[in-house]
Amino acid sequence: MDFLEKHELYACLQCGKCTGGCPVSMKAPLNIRSLMRQVLMAGKPDVALECPGLWDCTTCATCTLRCPRGLKPSEVIVGLRGELVEGGNVPKTVIDALEGTFKHGNPWGKPRQKRMEWKGDLAVKVLPEEGKAEWLYYIGCESCYDPRLQRIPRILCRVLETAGVSFGILGTKESCCGNEIRRMGEAGLFEELREGNIKNFRASGAQAIITTSPHCYNTFETEYKLEGFKVLHYSQLLADLLKEGKIKFSHEVKKKVAYHDPCFLGKQNQIFDPPRQILKAIPGLELLEFDRSRERSLCCEGGGGRMWVEGTGEGERNSETRVKDAHAMGAEIIATACPFCLLTLEDGAKTTGLEEKVLIREVLELVADAMGFENV
Amino acid sequence: MAEIMVLMEHRQGEMRDINLEMLSKGQELAEKTKAELTAVLLGKGVASMADNIKRFCHHTLICEDERLAQFNSDPYQDVLSFMIKERKPALVLIGQTACGMDLAPALATSAGIPLATDCYQIEVKGDTVLPFRQMYGGKMSAEVHFAKKAPCYMITVRVGSFPSEGLREINGAVEKVAFTFDKDYAYKKFLQYVEAAVGGVDITQADVLVSVGRGIGDPENLPMVEELASLLGGVVSCSRPVADKNWLPKERQVGTSGKTVKPKLYIALGISGAFQHTAGMKGATTIIAVNKDPKAPIFNVAHYGIVDDLLKVVPGLVAKVKERKGA
Amino acid sequence: MDIIVCIKRVPEVAEIDLQVDQTGKGIKTEGLVFCVNDWDNYAIEEAVRIKEKHGGTVTAITVGSEESEDVLRRALALGADEAVMITDQKTEGSDAYATAKILAAAIKNIPYTIILAGALADDDGYAQVGASLAELLGIPHATLVTNMEIGEKRVKVRRELEGGLEEALDVETPAVFTIQSGINEPRYVSIMGIRRVAKKEIKKLDLGAMGLAPDQVGTTGSFIVVERIFTPPVGEGAQLLQGSPDEVATKVTDIFQKGGVI
Repeated sequence: MDFLEKHELYACLQCGKCTGGCPVSMKAPLNIRSLMRQVLMAGKPDVALECPGLWDCTTCATCTLRCPRGLKPSEVIVGLRGELVEGGNVPKTVIDALEGTFKHGNPWGKPRQKRMEWKGDLAVKVLPEEGKAEWLYYIGCESCYDPRLQRIPRILCRVLETAGVSFGILGTKESCCGNEIRRMGEAGLFEELREGNIKNFRASGAQAIITTSPHCYNTFETEYKLEGFKVLHYSQLLADLLKEGKIKFSHEVKKKVAYHDPCFLGKQNQIFDPPRQILKAIPGLELLEFDRSRERSLCCEGGGGRMWVEGTGEGERNSETRVKDAHAMGAEIIATACPFCLLTLEDGAKTTGLEEKVLIREVLELVADAMGFENV
Repeated sequence: MAEIMVLMEHRQGEMRDINLEMLSKGQELAEKTKAELTAVLLGKGVASMADNIKRFCHHTLICEDERLAQFNSDPYQDVLSFMIKERKPALVLIGQTACGMDLAPALATSAGIPLATDCYQIEVKGDTVLPFRQMYGGKMSAEVHFAKKAPCYMITVRVGSFPSEGLREINGAVEKVAFTFDKDYAYKKFLQYVEAAVGGVDITQADVLVSVGRGIGDPENLPMVEELASLLGGVVSCSRPVADKNWLPKERQVGTSGKTVKPKLYIALGISGAFQHTAGMKGATTIIAVNKDPKAPIFNVAHYGIVDDLLKVVPGLVAKVKERKGA
Repeated sequence: MDIIVCIKRVPEVAEIDLQVDQTGKGIKTEGLVFCVNDWDNYAIEEAVRIKEKHGGTVTAITVGSEESEDVLRRALALGADEAVMITDQKTEGSDAYATAKILAAAIKNIPYTIILAGALADDDGYAQVGASLAELLGIPHATLVTNMEIGEKRVKVRRELEGGLEEALDVETPAVFTIQSGINEPRYVSIMGIRRVAKKEIKKLDLGAMGLAPDQVGTTGSFIVVERIFTPPVGEGAQLLQGSPDEVATKVTDIFQKGGVI
């Protein structure tokens, strides 16, 4: 099947809804409708490979969600990136991320032996070596290694413990989920990661997987073809635990909080309510909604490999827009349920000079405050 | 009388720093082993340099020829081979420099002289010479033995390992050595020197350098470093990996293959401190290092250290400096 | 234009805490990730680029053990045409000189115009093999090459000196060039690319096949042996500034002020 057939390009109407909804097309040299036409006219992808904006795509999938023909323009971009990857012709930082993942199991190329340093003194069962558990908590690369994020898995472990949930982790066997890897065009590496992870999942003895990141959730749930496992994003499990009375919020968090829907949780997987249920249950917390919320949430520009590729576009970053909008509506905190959104929004807060006025917090960090967790 | 032979280096009419460093170690070894120290100077029109060198050695051998005017490993190898055969030194020292790396292995191989390269220390125990060198980017040191007993050993010396001051005045004689070349070396011709493209920033002249290494992670993190540098009246420099990736121009690179700098203040951000870098900045008056890894070798050369992520430290520092300056 | 590239499999030690092993002469390798020596990677890329421009073949060669197949396969996936592995237990303990002898023995039977090797290796950093190899083969060499211009029977190269200065040389082929990092931007080698060359034959040679006697290699055939390795003494080291981020920032700013920088 050639490139055009694989991506059903002959069916494209050129209606432009894809580019119209693209969160980066206004400032980056990326026009997906035009790229699809170029490939169609040429009969092969080569000409589109020269597009300087190919690496700007965040794979938010707004284009795919809106295509009236059911085509997948975001997959066309992934396919084009794949051509570049096979030809070896990708940006240096992408090479580093891909090679780092191949060698060390994470795109930051950090040593595997340090993957569980986030734990500190916390005692968490490694599966299957240290026993059995119902849930496998898959932490995710960035939460393991990034000092800003390392408290998030610590918080989640304490919440699960408090709620009496039986869970364990893979320990240093945990390797990158591959969600971003596939979207950077390295299909071969994605396959290897998938195979290795599934082997570890099966060997763990757990029947259900819970993730920190919506990116990991997304690939396990929709791309791994995992049979015999329930996969949840942590917000879904926590919302249930709240309903069942297994966790209680005893401390006030008297703040105006705007919730930012991550693309990989919200628009792509329709998980809008669980994080909101959690936030609304926190005493004193006033939940505000962005105009662009839920399906229309503004992509933070952290996905699709953008953590490793600088955007080419000039002009305001979406994260900056988001922070300014939050400030304009009186929000003191932007809460989100995705580590990439957290990092990119914090960057936006810094570059707009609003970092003292608008704090960026993971939902779990607010949960920790509401449960009175100290030293975490 | 046993002899320790040291090859002098010069370029574009200037003697190179490694010479005094090797002569200083050579003097110490000569005294310990009751040997004489001999410097070898090859070139064309280098007689005045010889006058400088002879102060520190028992013999200064000078050989001049058009073929030796610029360093070229092959004619140098032929002349040195001859000198070594004639004078039978017990030890030959050459710098681990661009010249030394081109010359020493070929010379050692052709003359059958056991060679230990890139040594930061040379000890003598009885009649055994013990070279020390680093491995794994400076994370390990190694004591090395010569595998067989041989009449002559060769060691290439790491730049900056030995002091270049405090040498004794020996004032030996300068001897001209005649060598008849039977080749013109057309198979390896020196064409010209190529200066680095000057982009207008000479880091060797800066009083303050804020230097970034691999730890910077992404070129988009550079602006905050530029801001810190500019607040301190300094300039941004870098280690090799950053220049290799073209995140900063090559002229900003500090290290053995870049520039050697001696600023008043050197701030090393996310630089591990591998030897190739520290050799280029060890002489800075004050060195402050920021690195996430408490075991990073940079902390061995720095005066002050912060074990933390530079991406967290720098913004806080920028804010504090702005505050202090505004006050 | 037939090119031979000498490559080496080395451990990646960037952020790892290394430990001395039981023998005291090596490091503990358990859990370490191995890959091609960084400088050799630049050399393979350069060789493939020369081939793409001028035609010819690229042969990757390594002295190692069975695991070294990984680096040869990756070289094939990058664009090398042939791969040769010299594997013989008797080569263990070989220093750079002995390694050069081994390579010379293998290479004398392979046609070549140019031999490339990395300027030095990530693990031992001897920076010796290339120049010694040239001497053994009786051909010219140039080390620390940052640029190559291929001519009819000659190659113009730039060599990296110090302080940003380079020198331009004109060298007759056949010759050995050792490659300095940064000479090019190595391409990415994909997993599928490596899979595609999984079945390609890797020629294996042992000492007998190359006509080398055991005493010419290993520790007997070396110039040097590592007697012991040890973690460098930390020395006085840096005065670590402790405290909250704000406290540390204040301490640093004090240092700036005291030094007259602000």
